[in-house]
Amino acid sequence: MKRKIVSLLLVTAMLALGVMGCGSKSKDKADNNKAVANTENTADTASSDDATKEDATADITAEPVTLKLFSNLPDRKNGQGLVEQTIIDEYMKENQNVKIEVEALDEEAYKTKFKAYAMDGMPDVVSIWGQPSFLDEVLDAGILAELSEADYADYGFVSGSLEGFKKDGKLYGLPRNTDVMFFYYNQKMFEDNGWSVPQTYDELLALADKINGAGLTPVAMDGGDGWPMAIYLTDLMVKINGDCSQIVSDAIANGDFSDPVFTKATQILADSAKAGLFQTGYDSQDYGTAMNLFTNGQAAMFYMGSWEASMALNADIPEEIRNNIRVFTMPTVAEGVGKNTDIAAWNGGGYAVSADSEVKEEAIKFLNYMYQPDKLSKYGWVNGVGMSAQDQSAYMTGNETELQLQILDIVNKATSVSGTPVNDCGPSTFKASIESEIQSVSNGSISVEDFLASIGKACK
Amino acid sequence: MSKKNRKNNDSVHIGRVVLWVILILVAVIQIFPLVWLINFSLASSNEMFTTGLLVIPKKIQWGNYVKAFIDGHFLHYLKNSFLINGLAVFFVVFISIMAAFACKRMKWKLSNLVMTLLLLGMMIPIHTTLLPNYKIYSILGLTDTIWALLIPYVAFSLPQAMFLMTGFLGGVPVELEEAAVMDACGIYRIVFQIITPLLKPSIATVCIMTFLNNWNEFIMASTYLSSQTWKTLPFSVLEFTGQYSSNYAVQFAVMALTAAPAVIVYILLNKHITKGVAMGAVKG
Amino acid sequence: MKRLYSNKLVIFSLVIPGILVFVFAILAPIALSVYYGFTDYSGMGKATFIGMDNYKQLMMDQVFHKSLLNSLFLAIGFIVIQHPIAIIVAAVLDKLQGKAEGIFRCIYFIPNVISVAVIAYLWKFVYNPDFGLLNNFLKMFGYTGKINWFSTDLAIWSVLIVLIWHGFGWGMLIYYTGIKNIDPVLYEAASIDGANGKTTFLQITLPLMKPVIQINVTMAIISALKQMETVYLLTNGGPGNSTQFAANYLYKQAFKAFKYGYGNSIGIVFIIICLIVTVCLNKLFADKKEVA
Repeated sequence: MKRKIVSLLLVTAMLALGVMGCGSKSKDKADNNKAVANTENTADTASSDDATKEDATADITAEPVTLKLFSNLPDRKNGQGLVEQTIIDEYMKENQNVKIEVEALDEEAYKTKFKAYAMDGMPDVVSIWGQPSFLDEVLDAGILAELSEADYADYGFVSGSLEGFKKDGKLYGLPRNTDVMFFYYNQKMFEDNGWSVPQTYDELLALADKINGAGLTPVAMDGGDGWPMAIYLTDLMVKINGDCSQIVSDAIANGDFSDPVFTKATQILADSAKAGLFQTGYDSQDYGTAMNLFTNGQAAMFYMGSWEASMALNADIPEEIRNNIRVFTMPTVAEGVGKNTDIAAWNGGGYAVSADSEVKEEAIKFLNYMYQPDKLSKYGWVNGVGMSAQDQSAYMTGNETELQLQILDIVNKATSVSGTPVNDCGPSTFKASIESEIQSVSNGSISVEDFLASIGKACK
Repeated sequence: MSKKNRKNNDSVHIGRVVLWVILILVAVIQIFPLVWLINFSLASSNEMFTTGLLVIPKKIQWGNYVKAFIDGHFLHYLKNSFLINGLAVFFVVFISIMAAFACKRMKWKLSNLVMTLLLLGMMIPIHTTLLPNYKIYSILGLTDTIWALLIPYVAFSLPQAMFLMTGFLGGVPVELEEAAVMDACGIYRIVFQIITPLLKPSIATVCIMTFLNNWNEFIMASTYLSSQTWKTLPFSVLEFTGQYSSNYAVQFAVMALTAAPAVIVYILLNKHITKGVAMGAVKG
Repeated sequence: MKRLYSNKLVIFSLVIPGILVFVFAILAPIALSVYYGFTDYSGMGKATFIGMDNYKQLMMDQVFHKSLLNSLFLAIGFIVIQHPIAIIVAAVLDKLQGKAEGIFRCIYFIPNVISVAVIAYLWKFVYNPDFGLLNNFLKMFGYTGKINWFSTDLAIWSVLIVLIWHGFGWGMLIYYTGIKNIDPVLYEAASIDGANGKTTFLQITLPLMKPVIQINVTMAIISALKQMETVYLLTNGGPGNSTQFAANYLYKQAFKAFKYGYGNSIGIVFIIICLIVTVCLNKLFADKKEVA
């Protein structure tokens, strides 16, 4: 997991510097590059080649097909949801016989419903996560269709990014993103108040006191869902101990979380919450509430992943805030080994096709269409969504938001990455347990020892 | 005597004031969150972050309601809600009248057993059937169809309806039926032409109770349904929290809009519903 | 007449729809639940029979215990807080004449017809520590601290308040009907005897309302036990498991933790508890009636 992301980073870095890959592809890319520079209109022309190709095949199988897409992106007008919907609309335009029905739920509801579907029969194309907590049981049950890895040789997937979606060497899904976790902060608010970006964790806590003193919330945290705090924990562990992937997998295998790095990271999380780093009631507030605190200028920072970088382009967010969103990574911890450039990042979300889909071929065709480099990857970049799992260097437009460039810089300068966050490394019982118990330990209603003991128990 | 009277008058007066204070206070508590909801649904999202209780929007944002109406698929979901609830009410009334008549009036050995069985459903917590029903419906291919909602809605409203119908039927004199039998009416005609009209009050109650119980249900709907075809009104709200996660005002608008049909119907039919609920609860 | 009324075929045709619905929607799922409750089925793949393991685990499951305690808490909350207020308001309302009475009754009942989905989301906003209605209200009285209404200790109270608010009109209406059914002659007699409002309420209204109170109390306990939807949307059992309820917990286990078998065993125990509680309550109140 870790290695593959490092290599991803290297590739991205190289490409960002303008070192192009294989010669055969570079021409396509250059063409696309031009097309992107002219934005929307040309996007259609760029894909018109494909359209004619698709039409040719469509003529043979012109009978009407309905594809059901089950997505974890409910906001279809912003960010990734918009990207997904744009591609769907284009596909339906090019293939008049295909109708794509989308059912979209937010992440928690999505995962719940996904499990219900697993019993019943899946929609044809689904969002998935290439992480053990999600995929292991799903693949064991054989409900996802096998994909042919050779088909994707020239799709520009960063090497290693497919690993999380494989079982016994067979490929079952494709990654959509490279996710990086950091603190978004409101630069203008920082400047107006004379605050500076914290370099160490102690500085962060000191800053939190100042922000609280100013009557604002330091960090908006989506604590109602357990996973952002579990990633926070992962992030802290990296700062304490550097690479933790072996420690985590051993702990889960043995159900034993007695390694001091767990104790220390959990203690820091609990102490931070107690010191008022997060908003009042963070442990019961959901994603939207936390995000809105930040995007409405009530909170100075927001701990979330790179997929929210599209906030910078979201028209629902007041302009003076959205233009001033910047990021910094988890600061270093006293006596810790990890540096600021050791970041929490992984390849998480992606898509797969249902094994018992009645229109499997059409579904795979659509999947492949989405992953054509000038679709998900390009539109994602143009819409400021963040990093895809494919080579995006060809799509630099020169119009990137400050935020995007900053994120790119963080990724390029990263010295190591965490890999899959701790909550997603174990079976789903473990995930359910840690995501609920972490609320209790952070708000002080159970002790660190009890927390570690009870998540250990959930592994068995 | 006159002194005592005045004292009485004073205390009556004070009593009146206290009485009004209590009533108004409770009314404010009950209604204010809804006033707040409507108020902010007409403001822009940013205006939520003020300190006052209510805001005077800089500009009244009717656009919030337009978004809620269109993107919330309001009409479609409303139609589904009415259709599914209407059918559920119809089946519940129809089935409960027949079963109540058979168990209460007709002579057969198992009548008590069957009645107890049908009433048993009242004690079963509806949510425990979520998991197994999901399995059953998926095997039978009923998920994402109207039946996935209709069947449980009917099943869990039936016991109470049975209870009301049998209770009411007990008070209907047998003589009417005897006369009908003399005229050589068949059982079905007796049930639907003679008994049913007599049961009107309890039918009304059953309709109201069934409607109220199922109108607001969403957990089964969200478990069993996936496409938009049969989604009901609460989905507008559930979907919007994701879709418009960064626009609170629109979320408020969709909540207000979703609540509106039931509230309007209630205000219009206030008297009947009050009577129905009171009767249903006291008897049930 | 007799022959007509004992025609087996006709009887069968009349009761069969009801029986079918019962079998298909209630009996069959429970039977299936019993079966899966004995397995380690995850929801996908194969189910292995593991005997009583799920039930043994359930007996030790502290979250399950917590959810039953929470139900008890709600039931007590309803009985101690909601119902006395509802009775008093109903009695006061009874004294009122004319239009005002109808308007108040209508206002009290409105929250009741609004969907739980709306109610839960609305109250999430009401409780929000940063911009919620409740904290803004307290600010008007000079209290500037941010109260976290969903902290581990307060959350269950916050849930209780929402449920009381939502269900108040219903309970009030039933008491109101009960009071209206009391023979006015009794009040006249009392007022001739010189009894004041308080005495009349305690001596006449309350005792005569006993059967209504019993019904309401029964319904309160049962609805506390069956609580799911409001909690599901309001807190989903959190923070931690401080507002967990049996129905929500079984849903979470089955669809979130991939423990469909275990979820079903929770369902079975839950059904048994509901049956026992209902039967006990009925017995309790029936006995009392006979004694009286």
